[in-house]
Amino acid sequence: MTKLKLTFIALIALTVFSLAASITFGPANISTSELMHCLFSQCNNAISHTVIWQVRIPRVLVALVAGMGLAVAGAILQNTTRNPLADPYLFGIVSGAGLGATVASISLANEMTIALPLAAFLGALLSVIIVMFIAKVLQSMEQMLLAGVAVSFMLAALTQFILYFGEPFATNRVIFWLMGSLARVEMNNFYVIAAILLASLIAIFALHRQIDALLLGDDSATSLGVNVDKLRLLMLALCAALTATIVAYCGGIGFVGLMIPHIVRQVVGVTTLKLIFGSALIGGSFLIWVDVVARSSLMHAEIPIGIITSALGSLFFLFIMYKSRISQ
Amino acid sequence: MIKAKHLFAYAVLLLASTFSHASEQSSTKPSILALAPHIVEMLYDVGAGEQIIGTTEHADYPEAAKKIPRIGNYVRLQIERVIELQPDIIIAWKSGNPSDDLQRLAQLGFTIIYSQPNTFNDIAKELRYFGKVTGNEQQGEQVAKAFEQQLAHIESTYKGKEKITTFYELWSRPLTTVAKNSWPQEFLTTCAAYNPFEQVATPYPQISVEQVLAMSVQLIIQPLSVNQTEREGFNWQDWPVIPAVKNKRILQPNADALHRMTTRSLTALKELCAEIDSIRITLPKTAKGTNTK
Repeated sequence: MTKLKLTFIALIALTVFSLAASITFGPANISTSELMHCLFSQCNNAISHTVIWQVRIPRVLVALVAGMGLAVAGAILQNTTRNPLADPYLFGIVSGAGLGATVASISLANEMTIALPLAAFLGALLSVIIVMFIAKVLQSMEQMLLAGVAVSFMLAALTQFILYFGEPFATNRVIFWLMGSLARVEMNNFYVIAAILLASLIAIFALHRQIDALLLGDDSATSLGVNVDKLRLLMLALCAALTATIVAYCGGIGFVGLMIPHIVRQVVGVTTLKLIFGSALIGGSFLIWVDVVARSSLMHAEIPIGIITSALGSLFFLFIMYKSRISQ
Repeated sequence: MIKAKHLFAYAVLLLASTFSHASEQSSTKPSILALAPHIVEMLYDVGAGEQIIGTTEHADYPEAAKKIPRIGNYVRLQIERVIELQPDIIIAWKSGNPSDDLQRLAQLGFTIIYSQPNTFNDIAKELRYFGKVTGNEQQGEQVAKAFEQQLAHIESTYKGKEKITTFYELWSRPLTTVAKNSWPQEFLTTCAAYNPFEQVATPYPQISVEQVLAMSVQLIIQPLSVNQTEREGFNWQDWPVIPAVKNKRILQPNADALHRMTTRSLTALKELCAEIDSIRITLPKTAKGTNTK
């Protein structure tokens, strides 16, 4: 128990350190002393003030809650479906959001600030509803991920069809939007994501024993008095809301939900409460640092953040498969 | 043939614009962030080249433009760098800039004006406009006027000429052509070339060679880019049934000159029209491009 406590203290320290350290990275040249002035008293000039308070701090905070949210959504999905490879993205959430973004880019080009996140959110929600409906018809949890993959392809095909007839440059916009970026975020986005994250964490905290029971199998959970279908539906709805919101503001950031919970299981354990809070802390720190790489590794440009997470994620995915082959 | 007088006037103006930077440049003129290669080129034309303090990737003309600091590309702008540079005016291109970044900059209180040239006349309009906002009104007016005169001359030269059925190959894999609302269609219209695909709903339709066979195409335009060594054109030699292939009427203009919307495109237009005209003369009078739709 003390070891676990120490681990969590270390993780919290890591998160706080990540938050503080990452603010010092960025394309604008701001010295550490200037940064300290800005944070604790008054900026020396208006430029630094704008960069720090309107660009960097919102970005770092959104990276924190988006990383936390994606990791938590992945962890809860893996535990409720008992599928170690479950990831919110396999539910067609990104292709649904992409479809929404496409429709918004083509038809509402002048109202993008509000229309794009809203349309992306609705598209993501649409895909989740379709997947859940299919899974219900098939009466099978195992088929749910396959249904998600099928729906993903269907929505992607629709998106491409619309883009083909749209303005050629809109195509580029949507493609790059899907690659994910934290460059466009504002403080408001942080508040919205943080609120949904907090609500999800409270719900998970209240139900964590029931979710643990699910790990034993549906029959065992039912005999322990858990309403399996209802619980699973609630958790899926939380995951969908969390992921769809993050995708709407940040675009496609893949694989965080898949990768982070697996690392956390190695570090702190598999039961829900430990897994969720561990995932939140590691996921938040991870995305903060990935975004630092995205915004400061190239001299004159940014790397879309989704490229970095997907590259790391796919290698990690193969690594897990390889390890599970050995253990069988 | 273009009148030598016009050409000479235009050359003098360009030379003048190159040398007038030093004299015209003063601290009162606004600093500019130019977010597309064609905007940079036009700013140099109106004499505002020295006022550009930042631009995006691929701004490589004129030579001096290569030294301008880069603050992003068409995917993402570095907002922090823009705030650092504090430009007085940002000239953006809606089609080629990330709209969320532009909105962000507008929220931060930057003045943003847009460049959106869709026709040759738009280029002249924008030269005037850029001259005005950058404090180079006189030179902007001169360059725009010279441009308009040349354009009018080219247009009148080919107006009413017999239309020649032309296929414009934008890309070879997949085979893609152009239709109304696309930039190359402007060239075809001005040069009196009839594009059988002009009325297709999408500006850059993908098509199959079968559709080309049905059009009895007299001429094929296959722009090639000097920068793309690996770019291969469509292999028309396999289709000798197409009249244009049978009679070896395939033009290969420089794609870079054709596809960038600046004053240089006028030279490309002039050359292309002249080449098309030289082929038009060789056609029998009966081979008139007719609408097969």
